Amino acid sequence: MHELSLAQSLLDQLIDLAKEHHAVRINRVSVTLGPFSGVVRDSFEFGFNALKQSLEIARGAELELETPDPVYLCLDCGKVSVIPFSLPSDRLELAMTSHYPKKCPWCCLNRLSPKGGTELILNQVEME
Amino acid sequence: MCDTCGCQLHDHHHHDAKVVEVNRSLLEANQKQAQSNRGHIEQMGALAINLISSPGSGKTTLLERTIEALKDTVRIGVIEGDIETERDADRIRAKGVPAVQLTTGGACHLDAPMVHGGLHVLEHFAKGGGYDLIFIENVGNLVCPATFDLGEHRRVVLLSTPEGSDKPAKYPATFRSADLVLLTKTDLLPYFDFSVEEAVKEAQMLKPGLQILSLSATTGEGFEQWIEYLKNMLKK
Repeated sequence: MHELSLAQSLLDQLIDLAKEHHAVRINRVSVTLGPFSGVVRDSFEFGFNALKQSLEIARGAELELETPDPVYLCLDCGKVSVIPFSLPSDRLELAMTSHYPKKCPWCCLNRLSPKGGTELILNQVEME
Repeated sequence: MCDTCGCQLHDHHHHDAKVVEVNRSLLEANQKQAQSNRGHIEQMGALAINLISSPGSGKTTLLERTIEALKDTVRIGVIEGDIETERDADRIRAKGVPAVQLTTGGACHLDAPMVHGGLHVLEHFAKGGGYDLIFIENVGNLVCPATFDLGEHRRVVLLSTPEGSDKPAKYPATFRSADLVLLTKTDLLPYFDFSVEEAVKEAQMLKPGLQILSLSATTGEGFEQWIEYLKNMLKK
């Protein structure tokens, strides 16, 4: 539930940026949520869209979220791989083909260590 | 009048949309305050530890025993984070150590601005005496506290045996951010299906080289390693 406080700090940053650039309206906001940032995309989006309603300047702001795929380092063979998270819709298939736990695509062992991915970045703001 | 900006010009004021590249962390405000907290703590002559775990894994009991072991040689101060009540701060005060209770009133984690307030109160309690070691006991939660730097020098994550050895794998962000993991309540190992080997393996998979100690605050088993860790940290 800390997504709400992060959405609030994003709005605080937006207000400051709008002041700095003498803007009266924010149209679009682009944010990157790292795959290991511990932030849930849907909750963050929900929080932002709920909180922006109380701010004239941000009410029409469209939130664009980038969520890069997770990168892992294999502790057995040392290779780095991008292994996307499974979507809820994949679950049935996963259950049938047993792709879980995640395995290194190079050596097929499963000692995968997350690499980076903790970033929470405000990339770009379009305002007028 | 222009509907958009309220200006009095007859001709519509022309509003140009512009794109501003920001590339700054969403946590910037918290990070700045955390950095300032770290400076404040060092100015007080101390180092700080942020204690994170689920509710009931033994953070306050760990602190009680740690205070008993160190209070004659180390000046300790404690900031307690909870959603409600002064109970934890009262337990610490009963050990003769200054404690500030931060009640978040619902928030699931402490952030740097809250700790900033707590540090000033703690400083006031010291009456100019200063501290060597400040513990910040976070709100019991294995999820949200991971994201917020409080200005600590070390982050210690507790995992108690009744919780199960699968917790590092299930809560990776928190265990990955730890400087030290304490496996607590080891006196209960005979009664729970907890594999120390699995917990260690999975935590070190998330963060290779992560230091992990096992202890029981009840029997004192393994406690001396923790005390040694603290003494070494303070020496540096």
